[in-house]
Amino acid sequence: MTANLGPAFSPERGSTWLHRLDPLVKLAWLVAVIVVAFATFHPLPLLAIAVVGLLLAASAGVGSRVARILAIFVPVTASILVIQTLGPAACAGGCTPVARLGPLLLYGEGTIRGLSLVSRLLAVEAAALAVILTMHPSDLFAALARLRVPYVPNLMLSMTLRLIPILQREFAIVLSAQRARGMQASGFAALLPSFVPVFAGAFQRVQQLTISFESRGFGATSRRTSFRQVRFGPQATLAAVAGIAAGVVGTIAGLTIWSADRLIGVVPPADVVVGVFIVAATLFAGVILLGIRSLVRA
Amino acid sequence: MADAPIISIVDLGVTYAGAETPALRGVDLDVRGGEAVGIIGLNGAGKTTLALTLNGVIPQLVPAAVSGRVLVAGMDCSITPVREMARTVGIVFDNPEFQLSQATVAEEVALGLESLAVPSDEMPGRIAQALTAVGLAGLEERSPMALSGGQQQRVAIAAVLAMQPTVLVMDEPTASLDPAGTADVFAIARRLNREAGMTVIVAEHDVEALASFADRIVVLDAGRVVAQGTPAEILGAVDRLAAIGLRPPQVTELARAIDPTAPDVPVTVETAIAWLGARR
Amino acid sequence: MTTGMAPIVTIHDLRFAYPDGTVALDGVSLSAEAGSIVAVVGQNGSGKTTLAKHLNGLLRPTAGRVVVDGLDTTRHPVRRLAGHVGYVFQNPLHQLFARTVADELAFGPRNLGVAAPEVAERVATTATSLGLEPHLGAHPHRLPLPVRKLVSIASVLTMRTPILVLDEPTTGQDHRTADRIADVIRDLSAAGTTVIAVSHDMLLVAAIADRLVVLDGGRLVADGRPRDVLSDAQLAATTRLAPPQITQLAMALPGRTGRRIVLSVPELVAELRDAR
Repeated sequence: MTANLGPAFSPERGSTWLHRLDPLVKLAWLVAVIVVAFATFHPLPLLAIAVVGLLLAASAGVGSRVARILAIFVPVTASILVIQTLGPAACAGGCTPVARLGPLLLYGEGTIRGLSLVSRLLAVEAAALAVILTMHPSDLFAALARLRVPYVPNLMLSMTLRLIPILQREFAIVLSAQRARGMQASGFAALLPSFVPVFAGAFQRVQQLTISFESRGFGATSRRTSFRQVRFGPQATLAAVAGIAAGVVGTIAGLTIWSADRLIGVVPPADVVVGVFIVAATLFAGVILLGIRSLVRA
Repeated sequence: MADAPIISIVDLGVTYAGAETPALRGVDLDVRGGEAVGIIGLNGAGKTTLALTLNGVIPQLVPAAVSGRVLVAGMDCSITPVREMARTVGIVFDNPEFQLSQATVAEEVALGLESLAVPSDEMPGRIAQALTAVGLAGLEERSPMALSGGQQQRVAIAAVLAMQPTVLVMDEPTASLDPAGTADVFAIARRLNREAGMTVIVAEHDVEALASFADRIVVLDAGRVVAQGTPAEILGAVDRLAAIGLRPPQVTELARAIDPTAPDVPVTVETAIAWLGARR
Repeated sequence: MTTGMAPIVTIHDLRFAYPDGTVALDGVSLSAEAGSIVAVVGQNGSGKTTLAKHLNGLLRPTAGRVVVDGLDTTRHPVRRLAGHVGYVFQNPLHQLFARTVADELAFGPRNLGVAAPEVAERVATTATSLGLEPHLGAHPHRLPLPVRKLVSIASVLTMRTPILVLDEPTTGQDHRTADRIADVIRDLSAAGTTVIAVSHDMLLVAAIADRLVVLDGGRLVADGRPRDVLSDAQLAATTRLAPPQITQLAMALPGRTGRRIVLSVPELVAELRDAR
């Protein structure tokens, strides 16, 4: 499944506007979105952010990949909605049961809280994915260098990030090698033995890379030079400042007009609560059934 | 004979930490500047160990007890830091994928230059030069992971070439390559040696490729140098090779089968054609 | 080769495209008779490994059909096909995970439900044929890489499948071990196992193959007896194949035009002696 999602980061430099946008601007925008998302309780502005994030991703040609990755979170999302509607985590001043489904009592505040959590998750994920999938790793490296992140930790970070897709690929190969020898186990029991070859391989790779690094003079001088020279143009500055300003405004709005206090006592209509609950419960059960079926068949 | 050898190995012994038997023992070897040396031997004979002592990876990064001495361009390889040795000795390993780590080919080649504090404005020129030397000009912005094994190995070579070393050491560089990749790597090694005067040392199983590349072949067996000489001397001694478990080039095997006592036997296709022609 | 025998491997008009749309195999058809040794050669990226992975269902055709030992690979899970097709991966690191070499060799047959005494017998026999007895108690990941490769081959041989697929069996091996691997493959074939070997090693290919299949850019560009395929100088040039040195010498010798292609040193020695 993971193999079909494509590589994290952008393996080649893309040509769309989002790919070419300065990585520092993208990082600034992402930080703004995260701050606003955590300041805001109201589900509607959060959903709006998620939709904008998806549209931005689509304009850069990675919309379908972002959507596919978001789809992985469906079981988590659905379970949050189900659990919150049945038993809200925080009920300041008591919660209102708005409907009854057999033995189950559905709480209106719970549905709102669940929707808030879920849309916050979506907003952050959509924005983060739109940024990550359009960023070339060496641009990230250069951007962090400009933020005065020291060379060695920065390099280690960028190499670790590159190790992730490699480990992903190795896991898939090792699993297929074990199935090719008739391994009957599936699910977690099947994953366990594959840790040995994957991590032995990763260990050897890192060891060999270290030797290769030193053999190419790594650390020979304390005043290293840098191949990638990057400049921060006035347009980029403007874009970053605009993003941060929007973030500040959004945060203030999130803490005031979109805050949880404003929604106290607001109880959604019973049919909305029932509708959300049934859709979420069906998705949740469906995903679990699909999971069991694939385990049985594997 | 007047000039001092660029590599001088005296009574070298290497025993890896935790190992019972030494990987190398009593190795004496001199290499002149500009020489092309091939090292052959069974797996486990000590080829990789010997290669890795030439820039100090053994014992500095791989723990081992080392006796004797390895000098390269006057530097003692056991104490001169590996990263300092990098200015003089470039090493290319057998698995290209495990040597490459950067997001683009250009950055891969730049890595060593950054480490040596080469001024930024000099880098593009040196990167272009190194990539041209291995026939990869134009691939600067590609991801090394997206290249074929042969191309990856050429990137690894370019990455050490950009640092302008005087000695190039390659440890089974063609082990995982297809025939085209193997031919390319040896063509590059030959050009660097013959045209740029670089000292090139290659540990390799492919005796056919070594026969037409090396000035001298060194035979390792169980950690010892058991023979060294010209390709014709070493590879022509078919029985001695067989006793160790090695094979000669096929044309040499043919010549020995036809004339078991001939003083000179061919080791390449070209010399074999002439040799057979002269016997008609 | 016997005629009229039903092939044990049939690949019909196989096409495979990766999810990103890259076409790795384009209309490949191939069949292999029981007990034959088929070598698949071609440069990196020609589709060799992709083709091999179709033989035990690790990859499924985008179009076309692959039938092994009577089983359509699209209809059976890999672990079921494992009893019919053994597959040795190119990189032994991917295949070894047991604590000892003996356990590693026993893993496959145990999965196939082979009884314990027979598993022990298979482990012992296979270890002997590949010279692994001294290593049976060792941890696979502590062994040198060439030995690990032998262990990974042995770990599949113990499954005694009627079909064996090997991806680059001699990579990184010295002459002595490569010869040993060639002997094992010949013995398997003589005992009726069908072997399909993907390899760059033209010495191995010339020494063992009954059939030589050449892939280039995902297409099958040649399929025949090694002698016939290697005689095609133009094919060798376009696909950058390097025939064994002795074959190259024979082809370059003056006055041999029209003579048969030579695959081994003794063949050319005999011919030159006769000519004298």
